[in-house]
Amino acid sequence: MTTLVPVTYKGGVYRHDEIADLIDDLGGYIVQKHIMAQDVVLQSFVPRDDIGLIREVAKPLAGEVTEAPLVGTEIAVVSPSLEIHHLPHTACDIAEYLRRAGAKTNMVGLARGFGKRIANLNDEERDIINEHDLAVYALGNFEECIRQKFPVLRRGVRVPIVVTGAPDRETLMRIVDPPAEGYVGGIGRIMHRFKRPEELAKLDELVDEVSRTLDARRDDLAKDPLSVFPPRLMAIIEDRIHEVSMLTHPTPVTVQMEGLRVKLPYDPYAPAVRSLEVVEGVTVGDIADVTPSRMRNYILIRIKPFSETGVLV
Amino acid sequence: MPPLTYFVVESPDAVGREVYERIASDVLQDLDLIKVIDRLHIYVDPKVPIFVAAGLLRHMPREIRVSDFANINPGDAEIVLDIGDETYLAPLLRELWARFGKENVDQPDRFTVVLPAGVVGEEELERLVVADPSETLYKDVIYALQYIAPEGFKVRRQYIKNGKFYYVASEDTLPGDIVETVVAPIFAKMGETL
Repeated sequence: MTTLVPVTYKGGVYRHDEIADLIDDLGGYIVQKHIMAQDVVLQSFVPRDDIGLIREVAKPLAGEVTEAPLVGTEIAVVSPSLEIHHLPHTACDIAEYLRRAGAKTNMVGLARGFGKRIANLNDEERDIINEHDLAVYALGNFEECIRQKFPVLRRGVRVPIVVTGAPDRETLMRIVDPPAEGYVGGIGRIMHRFKRPEELAKLDELVDEVSRTLDARRDDLAKDPLSVFPPRLMAIIEDRIHEVSMLTHPTPVTVQMEGLRVKLPYDPYAPAVRSLEVVEGVTVGDIADVTPSRMRNYILIRIKPFSETGVLV
Repeated sequence: MPPLTYFVVESPDAVGREVYERIASDVLQDLDLIKVIDRLHIYVDPKVPIFVAAGLLRHMPREIRVSDFANINPGDAEIVLDIGDETYLAPLLRELWARFGKENVDQPDRFTVVLPAGVVGEEELERLVVADPSETLYKDVIYALQYIAPEGFKVRRQYIKNGKFYYVASEDTLPGDIVETVVAPIFAKMGETL
């Protein structure tokens, strides 16, 4: 079986469809396509052995193929509030940087995430965070505050968590109990953009930490693979439910590590999604749970593992 | 940031202290208050929890009068105001309308305002106060401190008068004597009394 690896293609608009067709022909998937003025960015999965070929084809078009560890993941960046204290810096800079590494990021601004004594997390916030592959908590500057409020802010959150804060990594590891999956120290509440080399190095460290955490999850998944590869299901949905093409979202079907978020209203479209045939005799309903998402009225698809369905598409 | 004459951030948390120094200078720079604030002392202890900022303003901008931005040419039938700087035109018109009524204030073009002769003496008109920039400055300084302080510290007491200001904030109820016990010693460190 060919291994698909996540890569980013950056190039011009001119003849970029050739690259898109090539990825398609090689059996890869484009999970996100951005066209910004003259530039095109394709976040995609391609067979490992064919990266050289894509580079070759992209050369005359001045296109660039780079490894993007976070393609196909949806990450929540959790900010204690949407006030001027916490935004736009830190949270937006983190989200933007993760996006460059290929992730689809969503900002979760908590209603009452500030104040060490008064901080809390409501059920909607908890459920939305749980719909992601990973949550990055952009916490503040004081050790004492993080120690007191973090247990409250993570209550009920089951997805892996990467904690960031101003104290160094060792301190974070010491004060976070039970341990989180990843830590990045030296990123606290700041009032300026991340632009100095040492600040950008911190963001690189964050990307590494996030991809390390997700790799651990990927390894687990490899032991009991999903019944269908999420980008493949995305391609099928985009192909067969034509309303998806009429959505104006940047990612009408968002690929996650273990599922998809389809940005169509749940009530009218869930039956159609459930009865969609993936291959002959196997419908989406057979291999996945199609549930309402807490994010607006979208559809959330959670693909079941092979051990549960006995089907591998 | 060009140094204030005195700028100290104190905190038992060494990492937090350093970050707050940067936050304070970034905010003051962003809001263009560095020239306004002369001395600033910040004390923040998340364990208490308390945030105190106290300091002195450099100089207060004075009140803006008509003579600062307009020439007054009294004639036999009318007084013509020749506007040099439009910045304060809107508050000027508002003031003139309130005093003399809209029907008596004519503005034939952008830079000219005409009043009927005799409604006001030349000197009185020249000395008419149109705006007081210190009013907004007070708000800006308090806003900056609110912005610097940790967000959860919602309970606060603020003061700005005669070139001195302080801002005390906490998550919990502030004790009634907080100014005497916490703010006064900080002013003493700067060699001032409140």
